[in-house]
Amino acid sequence: MTARTTPETAAPDLSVVAPLYNESQNVRPLVDWILEALNGYSGSFEVILVDDGSRDDTWQQVAAAAADPRVHGLRLGRNVGQTAAMMAGFDHARGRAIVSLDGDLQNDPRDIPALLAKLDEGYDLVCGWRQQRQDKFLLRKVPSWVANRIIRRLTGVQITDNGCSLKAYRRDLLDRISLYAEQHRFIPALSASVGARITEMPVRHHARRFGESKYGISRTVKVLVDLFTLKMITTFRSRPLLGFGVAAMPLLGAAVVFAVMSAIAATQFAPLKAGALIFPGALLLTGAAAFYLVMLGLMAEVAVSSERGSTREIPTAWEVR
Amino acid sequence: MGAQALVKPIVERAERPRPVAHRLVSVVVPVVERADDLQALYHAFAAELDSCGAAHEFLFVFDGGFTPPPEITELSRERDNVRVLRFARIFGETAALQLGIERSRGDVILTLPAYFQVKPEGLKPMLDRLGGGSDMVVASRSPRQDSWLNRLQSAAFHRMLSGITDRRFHDIACGVRLIRREVAEALPLYGDLHRFIPALALREGYVVEEVPVPQHPQNLRTRVYGPGVYARRLLDIAAFFFLAKFTEKPLRFFGLVGSLFFAAGAVASVFLLVARLGGEAIANRPLLLLAVLLLALGVQLMGLGLVGEIIVHLRAPHRRAYRVREQV
Repeated sequence: MTARTTPETAAPDLSVVAPLYNESQNVRPLVDWILEALNGYSGSFEVILVDDGSRDDTWQQVAAAAADPRVHGLRLGRNVGQTAAMMAGFDHARGRAIVSLDGDLQNDPRDIPALLAKLDEGYDLVCGWRQQRQDKFLLRKVPSWVANRIIRRLTGVQITDNGCSLKAYRRDLLDRISLYAEQHRFIPALSASVGARITEMPVRHHARRFGESKYGISRTVKVLVDLFTLKMITTFRSRPLLGFGVAAMPLLGAAVVFAVMSAIAATQFAPLKAGALIFPGALLLTGAAAFYLVMLGLMAEVAVSSERGSTREIPTAWEVR
Repeated sequence: MGAQALVKPIVERAERPRPVAHRLVSVVVPVVERADDLQALYHAFAAELDSCGAAHEFLFVFDGGFTPPPEITELSRERDNVRVLRFARIFGETAALQLGIERSRGDVILTLPAYFQVKPEGLKPMLDRLGGGSDMVVASRSPRQDSWLNRLQSAAFHRMLSGITDRRFHDIACGVRLIRREVAEALPLYGDLHRFIPALALREGYVVEEVPVPQHPQNLRTRVYGPGVYARRLLDIAAFFFLAKFTEKPLRFFGLVGSLFFAAGAVASVFLLVARLGGEAIANRPLLLLAVLLLALGVQLMGLGLVGEIIVHLRAPHRRAYRVREQV
C-alpha cells in the first residue's frame, strides 16, 4: 500500500527521510546540510521532510525549503509520533535506497555516502552507531545502553545502537515491514525477522543546537513491554498456537501437581472434609486456564490464516550468482 | 474492524453520484429515538440555508420503528431535494448517519437531529467557518439554557471524555455538525460512535472547530433516562477510550491489568510457599485457590492482549496511523 505519486521511471535513486516535530529552526540548516553532503552523490535523490503536526512554524519552513525541486514536504494532520511520521516518509519515498535521519541536526548527513556504500556491499539495512554520543548521561545514555543490551539479548540481533535514526534501507526491505505504535527502535529486529542482511557502522553525532529533546526517561518501561510484544510476535506470528501451547505448559504442569496432591489428599484425609476440596479446585482452575490458552491460540490461528496470502509472509532473500 | 459487517445494515449500494462542484449542503436528518415536527424543522432550516445562499438537499433517514409522517413523504414527492430513506429494523443513529452520508450528493454534509436542538440562525456562522479551511465545524449550544440536570449530565459526560480526547470539547453530543464530504466518508464510524464524531475526526488528523450556536427553546426540556441508557453511555465512553488509547498496542492495556492479577497471585503463592516450608499444611487453605485463580486470570489476560497484538500486527500493512494534510 505504498503511495507512489509519480511513475516509476521518474523515481530517484535515493530518498532521504527526516521526521520533524517542532524543529522550526533546524529545518533550513538540515536541508542545506543534506544537499551539501549529497553534492558529490552520483545518482538522483530526493529529500522528504515530514512535519509531524508541529505546533511552531516548522511547516512554513518546510514549505519554503520545498522550493528546491529535490525537496518534498509532507504535513501530517496531527502529531502521530516518530514511528508513524517515518512511515509516512517511507510510503512517499520513491528511491531504491532510503536513508532516514533525525530532524534535529544530531545526525550528520555527511555519513550518508558511507552508509550507501555499505548498502551496496549487499546489505538490506545499514544502521548507524553513534560515536561519542552527545546527550545527557543519566537521562539518555544509561537507559539507552541498558535498553540496547536487552534488545540484543532478546532479539539476537547484534546491533549496538538501535536508537540511532540514521539508517540506510533497501526499498525491498521497507516493502516487507510495517512499523506502527513505537516500533522505530526495533527496525533491526523486525528486519531480521523477515530475513534481512543487517550491519552497522560508526556515524558521527552532534549535540543539539536548537530546540529540545522530545524524549524522557518514562519511555523505558514502555520499551520493555513493546520489546516483549515484538519478541512474541516475531517468534510466533506464523504459528501462534505453538506459542500459546508453550505458555500453557507450566499451567498444565501445575494441574498435574495438583492432581497428584488431590489424590494424596483424597486417600489421606476424609474425602468430604473441606480441606480435601482445595486441591481439586486448584486442579480445575489451572486445567481450565491451560485449556483457555490453547483456545486463544486457536483464535490467533484464525486471525493469522485470515490474513494469509499477503506477499509480506514471504521472507526476503537474495539470489546467489 | 471485523465487527463492522455485523453492525452496518445491508443496503443495496446505489451508484454514488459524483460530488457536485459547487457547494451543495446535504442535510442528513437521522430520525432515531426522538422526533419533533419534521415539517417545521425542514422549513425552518431550509429557509435559513436559502438565505445563506447555499443550495441544499434534505435526507430524512427513518430508523426502524418510525414511519415517515405523510407531510414528509408528500414533501419528498413534491421536491427533488427532499428524500426519505427507511430502515426495515432498528439500526441506530450511527447507521442512519452513514446511510445518509453515502446517499447524499453534497460536498458539505450537515447532520441535524430530528428535533430542534439549535436555532436555525446558527447555521450561517458555521458555514462561514467551514469556508475558512476547517474540515468539520460542530455546534456547541451556548449559552446553555436548559435545566441544571441536563447541564449536570452533560458536564459529567465531558469530564469523563476530557482525558481521552486530544482537545476539550464543550458540547460533543450536539448533533448539529457541518462536515466536508471527504472527511465524512473517511470517518471510522461504527457501533455507537456517532457521539464522538468530532473527537474521531480530530484523531484522524482533521481540523475540527466548535462554534457557539444559540440553543433552541424547544431543547430545554429536562431529560432523565433509564439506568440502561446511562450504562450504555458509560460503555460507549469505555469503548472509545480503549479505541483511542490502545488500538495500536492492546498488550499495554491487557498486559497492565493482567500483570496486576499475576503479581497479586504471585505474592499469595510466595506467602503460601513460605508457610508450607515452615511446616504448615496448605491443603486446607482457601488462599491457595485464590492464588491459583489470580495467576490463571493474569496469564489469560496477557494471552488476550497478545492475540490483540497479533491482529494489529497482521493488519499493520493495511492501515496507517497518519494522514497527510498537505504536500509540497
